[in-house]
Amino acid sequence: MSSEDQHLPWVEKYRPRRLDDVVNQEEVVATLKNVVATKNVPHMLFAGPPGTGKTATAHAFAQELFGPRYLEDGLFVEINASDERGIETIRERVKTYARTVPFRGIGFRILLLDESDQLTDAAQHAFRRTMEQFSATCRFILAANYSNRIIEPIQSRCAVLRFKPLNMPMVEKMLRRISEAEKIVLDDSAVQAIYEFSLGDMRKAINILQSAASLSSKVDEKTVYKVMGLVSRGEVRRMLELALDGKFKEARDLLRELIYVKGHQAQDIISTMAREIPSLNVSEDDKIKLVDVLGETDYRISQGGTPEVQLQAFLAKLSLVQRAGD
Amino acid sequence: MTVLWAEKYRPSKVSEIADNKQAVDEFLEWIGGWLKGRPSKKAALLYGPAGVGKTSLVHAYSREHGWEVIEMNASDFRTRENVERIVGAASSQASITAAKGKIILIDEVDGIEARADAGAVQSLVKIVAESRVPIVMVANDPWDPKLAPLREVCQMIQFRRIPKPTVAGHIKKIAAMEKLKISEEKVKEIAESSGGDLRSAINDLQMYASAADTGLEAGERDRRNEVFNALATVFNAKSYSNAVSALNNLDLEPVEFFTWVLDNAPEQLSPTDLAAALENLAKADLFLQRVNSKQAWHLLRYAVPFMTAGVALAKKKTTPKFVKFSYPSRIRYLSQTRGEREMVESICSKLGRALHMSSRKARTEALPFIKVMLSSDGEELADFFELTDREVEFLRGGEAKKPRGRSRG
Repeated sequence: MSSEDQHLPWVEKYRPRRLDDVVNQEEVVATLKNVVATKNVPHMLFAGPPGTGKTATAHAFAQELFGPRYLEDGLFVEINASDERGIETIRERVKTYARTVPFRGIGFRILLLDESDQLTDAAQHAFRRTMEQFSATCRFILAANYSNRIIEPIQSRCAVLRFKPLNMPMVEKMLRRISEAEKIVLDDSAVQAIYEFSLGDMRKAINILQSAASLSSKVDEKTVYKVMGLVSRGEVRRMLELALDGKFKEARDLLRELIYVKGHQAQDIISTMAREIPSLNVSEDDKIKLVDVLGETDYRISQGGTPEVQLQAFLAKLSLVQRAGD
Repeated sequence: MTVLWAEKYRPSKVSEIADNKQAVDEFLEWIGGWLKGRPSKKAALLYGPAGVGKTSLVHAYSREHGWEVIEMNASDFRTRENVERIVGAASSQASITAAKGKIILIDEVDGIEARADAGAVQSLVKIVAESRVPIVMVANDPWDPKLAPLREVCQMIQFRRIPKPTVAGHIKKIAAMEKLKISEEKVKEIAESSGGDLRSAINDLQMYASAADTGLEAGERDRRNEVFNALATVFNAKSYSNAVSALNNLDLEPVEFFTWVLDNAPEQLSPTDLAAALENLAKADLFLQRVNSKQAWHLLRYAVPFMTAGVALAKKKTTPKFVKFSYPSRIRYLSQTRGEREMVESICSKLGRALHMSSRKARTEALPFIKVMLSSDGEELADFFELTDREVEFLRGGEAKKPRGRSRG
């Protein structure tokens, strides 16, 4: 590893480079190796939760299919659906990219459309036609967290490869490997805590580890909690306390800061809230009621509700709850 | 009896079809296939929102080429027997090479009801297979699973909403031909509220013209609610209908007015009433977001009552004194924090580029951790992401702690 690599974020540094390095996705890897062998590349949909290796696998696949210069030779390109402004921009980019037959390789290029579930239905319909129009010179890999947000006509044109969340032993193995390479001491309680916060999301697990290692070269449970506290816990807790004090507007303003300035995503705020509810100073009955309301809030946001609005409604309800012992 | 302008000004040539150039091209290409005797698919399914020219395209084409249109409404057929008798007869008789072309137009295929129109879809598929003339089907929503067999046999041609400026252009042109005096403002208003549905915009224009005839227009301006009046209605109405009427004549999109209601609610309501009102606003928000993301305009009819009556009726306790309405605090907040947000945005797009993710995703998945990593040293990481000194300082908490508002230079 060159000295340049020392500065890489670990999620980059330890990203799988070959299909064989991809962790826990045996079926996906077996299928892709078969595709590499036959050079018979269908359009593909990589579906699975965050941090399971979809983007990295797409790169590893392209590299094995086209060789190490797959990027330099322009045989593989990555477009992020969520960054590009609208479907027209995407189509333009696809058009310029896919118009010509590549001068080397096997007659077509591969285009990865990452976070494709961020496209609206209408945009997906438009994209579907683009796929068809250029399929002679370009094959598409769509990556998405939720395959059910991909319209049926696209799904039916793609081989769907499902990525599974990583289990605890897999995550542990990776964390240990990194700790060894980076010369940090990682104890068992830390592994457990990291897994609890990240579940099957390897990217998050590695980010927590690197953050913790930046605070102390000896990483234990406490270091991990400290990281997660710095990440979101403290402010979310304060927001809940403000609401409990009946200071709705202050709680709302803090919510806005978390969302719009600090850039926390609703999902992280909610999962922190869920962890905080048991320790709030309210009656046991109120705790279960709050979990109920929070669950509904979470669901509505997953159904497309605006996080700020839905969470405000939660805070307004919370501000009616009495503190226990009041 | 007045002629409907939407009929009177229906395009008579293909070139007059508003916008949707791509759909028109796809249609012409498909029908070109028929003329060469080798259509890619025997039928075409034109789909998209109402009032954007799907049916008009078929009529305009036929008129230009002297073809006959045999028009049917899919919801007319109730049984397989009827379908076969009507469509079957038409499709087997003539051929495209005959002196006079024929085209079969079947409207509202998404109106076929699974049970009531038993077999209709199957029969249509069969007729398409046997047809010797082009068949065009029209639908707003072709993605119903029951229509899957039809989608298989049809060339799918998508129509989109007409952009507002194009709608406005058409409105002006028709107004000129009708010698109707109309302000730019009114044209814009009609175009705005059309939601990309040109037919409804033309209908609105005709309504406006007939109102203008009877002198209603003069009073209209007086009746137009200012947003504060609308808010007063929402927060003081005692009845459902009264509250819902707040949006009448209001020159604001429902989604904009929503923010006004939401941000004024904490000042206007007691904590208990606020919780109830925000619950209803949260429901309104769900509908508004669906209107937006699915272009499901009909859902506005649920969003509006929730955001008006849902607030009015939640108010059980009248506030002791009059509290002035104010400009939405969210909009104020967003403009005050613009500098910070732009900084976060720029940082996140750098993180996203380096880590293969959208800047949006980088916000949640990377930013919070990078902050921790930078809190103790992390110079090299900053270099890797090509962050500027200001950005690093911001991430380390320097900027964020400063009081908000105008910078002090």
